Amino acid sequence: MAQRLSRRAFLELGAVSLAVAGVPAVARGQGGVIRLGTLTPLTGNGGNYGPSMLKAMQWVAGEINAAGGVRGRKIQLVSEDDQTNPEAGVRAARKLIDLDKVAAIMGTWASAVTTAVAPLCWESRTFLTTVSGSDTITLLPHQGYLVRTQPNTQLQGKKFAEFMAAQGSRRVAILAVQAPFALPTQKVVGEELKKHGSELVAAVVYDKDKTTYRSEIDQVLKDKPDMIYLNGYTADVTVVLKDLYKAGYTGAKIAQAYAVNQKLLSALPPEVTEGTWTIAPSPSIESSAYKRLAQALGSDDLSLVALAIAHAKGEATGTGIRDHVRKISQGGGARVDSAAEGLKLLAQGKEINFDGASGPCDFNEIGDILDTKFRYEQAEKGRFKLLKIG
Amino acid sequence: MPREIAQLVLNGLMAGTILAVPAIGFTAIYAVLRFPNFAIASHLTIGAFAGWLANVSLGLPAALAVGVAFAAAGVAGVVSDELILKPLRPAGALTTAIAAVALTLVLENVIRFVFGNDLRGYALPIRRDWQVAGLRIAPQQVQNFGMAIVAMTAVFLFLAFTRTGKAMRAVADNPTLASVKGIDTDRVARLTTFVAMGLAGVGGMLVGLDTSIDPLTGFRVILSVFAAAVVGGLGSIPGAVVGALTIGIGEELSLLVLAPAYRTVVGFAAILLVLTLRPRGILGERAY
Repeated sequence: MAQRLSRRAFLELGAVSLAVAGVPAVARGQGGVIRLGTLTPLTGNGGNYGPSMLKAMQWVAGEINAAGGVRGRKIQLVSEDDQTNPEAGVRAARKLIDLDKVAAIMGTWASAVTTAVAPLCWESRTFLTTVSGSDTITLLPHQGYLVRTQPNTQLQGKKFAEFMAAQGSRRVAILAVQAPFALPTQKVVGEELKKHGSELVAAVVYDKDKTTYRSEIDQVLKDKPDMIYLNGYTADVTVVLKDLYKAGYTGAKIAQAYAVNQKLLSALPPEVTEGTWTIAPSPSIESSAYKRLAQALGSDDLSLVALAIAHAKGEATGTGIRDHVRKISQGGGARVDSAAEGLKLLAQGKEINFDGASGPCDFNEIGDILDTKFRYEQAEKGRFKLLKIG
Repeated sequence: MPREIAQLVLNGLMAGTILAVPAIGFTAIYAVLRFPNFAIASHLTIGAFAGWLANVSLGLPAALAVGVAFAAAGVAGVVSDELILKPLRPAGALTTAIAAVALTLVLENVIRFVFGNDLRGYALPIRRDWQVAGLRIAPQQVQNFGMAIVAMTAVFLFLAFTRTGKAMRAVADNPTLASVKGIDTDRVARLTTFVAMGLAGVGGMLVGLDTSIDPLTGFRVILSVFAAAVVGGLGSIPGAVVGALTIGIGEELSLLVLAPAYRTVVGFAAILLVLTLRPRGILGERAY
């Protein structure tokens, strides 16, 4: 009997077949890829940092996937650009959370962006890893859905002050970019210097968008410092270093390793950068993680998240990561420095303690790095010379 | 203290002179085409990168590379104007200005796509400052100052003495009358865009010579350029120079009373003050 399919029957049939098709899709969702979001500044003022952070995370994801993934599931990164702008960051985070349904967002860089994105994350139970420095971030009521993989301002400021005093510097000046960490760093460095018999003689906070800092440098040099701490980012520190050289300053200089990096040394004549110290958080020994990813911010973020998911028996949710991140990053387990190695041990039922490129990655209850070693280097003829790790 | 003030004025004079070059471009476009072309920001960057290529890849000295910066930014300006902004001009100055903002974002990202976000420095020797009568000044600053003066002098001579320059002034003064008199206003508009964007490119390179360049080079200075043009009188070329020097020296002198982090305030404050007290600007908009 040749009967034509009625519209109702067609719809019913269609709905049923769609539903049938949908069942394996849900099943696939559990056993399929693990979606994780990256939110780094690919453009805007953080544009010098975001692309290399993303590359580091893509590299780690490739390593994990090549080693068979997390409990057999591949990692799929969904990457967004926060434009170094809180408003764009929030829009991108909304997309990652609502549309891509990622379990974690990794790599927010600017403190302003992290502060704006964090509430979306803890409210949607999405895990957030950040490299922002501002102390206030971990004080947010994030219910554990946030860790910071870089030491906070307090810890960094203390290490800088100790090192400067140990170099015999008695009169220290700070030239800092206008950023949330500028004043807190100034305060902690001033206090710590005093403990070691040194003094903070001048502190100038400058606007990052200026094309010259001659007058700011004059202000600082008036107080005759014997050490200048350049607490800025690569773009502005490049200009400040040039202007310091032109001004005839011959004293000591120190900067964050993320500001004075190999790219900066290559872009400037060696006589301008000669002798500049840099300090960066570091693993205690020359770890293979460090060698592979020398200073690539963000690489540890993905390793931690992947290992936490594996430890949570494959539960790829923000809450799963929150509850397990400290079980793979600290404690008495076997020390590992790559995600692939850690995943292998976890699969064998062993406990692990992950140490990454940025150091031990041991977190306190609010998500701050507990303590870490620092790596001290000095620019010599356009290259870095390792001084010590300690 | 007097020495300190003198040093600040000197620094401001140097910064202001460089600022004046793109400010002339901005104000010239406003005079002839009657809209604020914010796309000048990305053309500063285009010029800076073109000059950088000429200097670093082709090994040209800075004084010649600046010519490449002028030509590249000028051509980019004419092409983007023909394709994007010109069709929108009948819709009004506001529409065109908004489109110009969009255009500058697109061009900035094209540069980012090609060159990446890394900082680049010109291949120039770096020298210690000269000390003159207790004031310090960098040899590079003097050279940049010289190049800015040459560029500005050329523009003034061109406007005052050439037929084309006079035609440009005529169109700026009264486009309908100029058209009736047989001046090809389209051609004048194109030429104005070429020269103005070329000047922006020179300004971008002069900024970059002393610092380093990246895709945000133009965006960083656009507020100061805009402030200079408004303060001097939008549409007035000598006004742009006066405005640029006012902003340059004002930003430096503000350091006597303000923390350096607030230096950008000077540009905004100057725009507000001028628009409130003397909307025509210091020299008034119809001064050439």
